[in-house]
Amino acid sequence: MEVKKEAKTNDKRTEAYRMGLVVLILLAALTIGEYFIGSIAVGWLAPLWGIAILKAVLIMRDYMHFSRLFGEGEEEHS
Amino acid sequence: MTTQADTGHNYRFKTATNRLGLWLFILSDAFLFGGLLVSRFYLLGKTRPELIQLLGLAVTAILLASSFFMNRAETAIAHGDRKTFLNGMLITIVLGSLFVIGVVGFEWQLAPFSAGENAAASIFFTMTGFHAFHVITGVIFLAIVYRNGRRGLYTPERHFPVEAAAVYWHFVDVVWVFFYPALYLMGTVAG
Repeated sequence: MEVKKEAKTNDKRTEAYRMGLVVLILLAALTIGEYFIGSIAVGWLAPLWGIAILKAVLIMRDYMHFSRLFGEGEEEHS
Repeated sequence: MTTQADTGHNYRFKTATNRLGLWLFILSDAFLFGGLLVSRFYLLGKTRPELIQLLGLAVTAILLASSFFMNRAETAIAHGDRKTFLNGMLITIVLGSLFVIGVVGFEWQLAPFSAGENAAASIFFTMTGFHAFHVITGVIFLAIVYRNGRRGLYTPERHFPVEAAAVYWHFVDVVWVFFYPALYLMGTVAG
């Protein structure tokens, strides 16, 4: 029973680490994208704003766990 | 008589209240940065200060990586992985310090203008200065949490200070997510 619980905790932890890495890769890709848009299409502001908002949403949702604000305890870590 | 269950319930209630307070603080701080961002566009319009593009990209990458390690550290303590927690905290502190060195130590020194020279220079130093100040306070906050973590003060059930440090740190990252394109990428170089 205890072993089963520990295995489940390990699975959840591995999944949470993996999710963090996926978000980092997405953020890196978006940053490189905005760097090239900024270098090539000078004055094209709308896509840069779009990318910035997308990055902010990713960080707030997956790193800051904004949804926790509407939950109860400390145990609901993704 | 206080039972274990009561104590746990009280702690959860306190955590929920503290969390709300933390987010209200973050919201109030966001207004400050929002004001700076609006000032940038009011003063400069579709121009931007002349800055080192690769340095801007490098410090942005450093800050994003620091957020990843901070998230990893928080996840680790929530799952009882103390070693990964401490390592993640330490890497975040180092990356945060590198960011400050990159902006204040290099970008400020290498910028081809001084603070009071023109509107572009003023807004650049104000925005990066306020942000760097937040990064420095964040690093101090992280160092305190790291020290307490080494002393074993946090458990998977009780680690709100780690969460608070993480949320503050990620907020500083979110601010830079908007400041980076506004200062480095949007518009043509102000002549």
